[in-house]
Amino acid sequence: MSSLHLSFYSAFVLSSLGLAFHRTHLISALLCLESIILSIYVALTIWPIQTQTSSSTILPILILAFSACEAGAGLALLVASTRTHGSDHLHNFNLLQC
Amino acid sequence: MDLPLVLNTLMLLTLATLSTPIILPLLSDNLKNTPSTITNTVKTSFLISLIPMTIYIHSNMESLTSMWEWNFITNFKIPISLKMDFYSLTFFPIALFVSWSILQFASWYMASDPHITKFFSYLLFFLIAMLILIVANNLFILFIGWEGVGIMSFLLISWWHGRADANTAALQAVLYNRVGDVGLILCMAWLASSLNTWEIQQIASPAQAPTLPLLGLILAATAKSAQFGLHPWLPAAMEGPTPVSALLHSSTMVVAGIFLLIRTHPMFSSNPTALTLCLCLGALSTLFAATCALTQNDIKKIIAFSTSSQLGLMMVTIGLNLPQLAFLHISTHAFFKAMLFLCSGSIIHSLNGEQDIRKMGGLQKMLPTTTSCLTIGNLALMGTPFLAGFYSKDAIIENLNTSYLNTWALLLTLLATSFTAVYTLRLTLLVQTGFTRIPPLSPVNENNPAVLSPITRLALGSITAGFLITSFILPTKTPPTTMPLSIKITAIIVTALGIALALELSKMTQALILPKQNSFSNFSTTLGYFNPLTHRFTITNLLNGGQNIASHLIDLSWYKMLGPEGLASLQLMVSKTMTTLHTGQIKAYLGAFALSILIMLVSTY
Repeated sequence: MSSLHLSFYSAFVLSSLGLAFHRTHLISALLCLESIILSIYVALTIWPIQTQTSSSTILPILILAFSACEAGAGLALLVASTRTHGSDHLHNFNLLQC
Repeated sequence: MDLPLVLNTLMLLTLATLSTPIILPLLSDNLKNTPSTITNTVKTSFLISLIPMTIYIHSNMESLTSMWEWNFITNFKIPISLKMDFYSLTFFPIALFVSWSILQFASWYMASDPHITKFFSYLLFFLIAMLILIVANNLFILFIGWEGVGIMSFLLISWWHGRADANTAALQAVLYNRVGDVGLILCMAWLASSLNTWEIQQIASPAQAPTLPLLGLILAATAKSAQFGLHPWLPAAMEGPTPVSALLHSSTMVVAGIFLLIRTHPMFSSNPTALTLCLCLGALSTLFAATCALTQNDIKKIIAFSTSSQLGLMMVTIGLNLPQLAFLHISTHAFFKAMLFLCSGSIIHSLNGEQDIRKMGGLQKMLPTTTSCLTIGNLALMGTPFLAGFYSKDAIIENLNTSYLNTWALLLTLLATSFTAVYTLRLTLLVQTGFTRIPPLSPVNENNPAVLSPITRLALGSITAGFLITSFILPTKTPPTTMPLSIKITAIIVTALGIALALELSKMTQALILPKQNSFSNFSTTLGYFNPLTHRFTITNLLNGGQNIASHLIDLSWYKMLGPEGLASLQLMVSKTMTTLHTGQIKAYLGAFALSILIMLVSTY
């Protein structure tokens, strides 16, 4: 694939794997989520340029808005867990553990 | 005088007279039955039935009465038709004479029984059913009589129903007779569907009749007349009281099967397969029963097996295409067999219930009349010249020897004839002669007219019946007139050989030689191993098959395992495996997420 596609594709894969394998802190998971969103944003921006459909150029703006909401929600969860458990370690989320 | 009217009226009057002890007590409370009223009723019916027989002898008049017709379905009507021909007109007086004597005897034999009136009513009901069977012209009416005698046989065999053996014997009788009923119903169904009638007149087909209905009839006769294969119920039926054995299982009920074959004989005469089957079956039955009778020790069982043997001989006669000769043998056999049973009943009561012939002996001086009549009966059974049995038995053996038939059947029948002489002589020697082996205080007493007159009456019948019947009745088929001397005296020679053998063997019993077991004596004593083999084997297979099909296959397999319960157990297995995966830890879920990313990576590569 072209180097442009490789860039955001590899960013996406690396951040997803990072989301899966960073198991200590919640903030590292949130950071990886942000980089996933970032790679999606880049992909969505390149796509209307490549296919020359200018009506799809609104999509990155929408994704940006939603990603901001999502980042805010994630950070709120981080603050809440720090307030209750004193840290953001992922092993504190164990209510559903059998 | 209008003879047909007299004939029909008096035959119907006979049946009506017999039903009065059953109907009158239902109408009024004052008219209760007693044994003597029932005996007198049967005697009156006998005297009335002599007149139609005399009319038949005088003018050879037969009659066919048809009453009310049952419109069963359109195109198939079942009239109540009664046929008064040679067979029914001759059998009525004989059956009523024998029944009268037996009922008179039973009033002494069952005198200590509290329900003696019920016993007599059962015997009367049986007699009515038997006479309906005899006089039926229609397979439907015959079937009514057939089932009636079967049910009364069941009730009478289990008269002493507190005794487990009696109940087992009655059940055996009913089950074996049921198997035969299937054959009779098969024949009736075939006739209804192909000839659209159940009348005996309309089923005589000149062309060769198909074998299937005939096989059904032979099956019915095999069960009812205790031929080999469906025979165990007859010796077991000796559990009933002696009058029951005398009436049902010697003279009347067991000949119903043979009588059915006599009535439907026109169908048989053109089918050689069925005739050969009857011949071989009869020969096998007569030899088997005679072999079993050789080593029995119960006096009633010996006489039961001799009945079975004579029934086989009647079946042989049917197989020879000689129905009239079979009927002659039925008539003469009724007299001496009933008398043998009554004599044994008198002996049993005199010895206070002892039925084992090894514990009797020397009774000739103690019970002179009974033992004399026993001797007469045994001689008649053996076919002694010019007693009753001779006229029928010798004629059968002459016809056997001079006809073109299966040699094996002939040899078996001759061997059975000599065995008859052997066990009859053994019975006579052990019961009547020699030193006595009875306990000292036995109530030996035959000085009761209720005992003596039936037995002597039947003795008179045993001596003269053969002569009288053959004198007055013309044969329908010409008997064999010429034959070599050796063939003519075959029956007597074979009987004499049997007598000589029996005398020699009885000398051996008085010398102190240890009896040895060998396979032949074991075969005879255990009745041919038939009862344990068939009863256990058949029943086990049936019950196993039933359990496998009904319970294991349908209930357990189809409805449970392959249905809801199997599904439930499979689900349980799967969910138990899956539970180990649901740990509730984030590590697992993130691992699944990583797996899906890797799959995405690999798939787009």
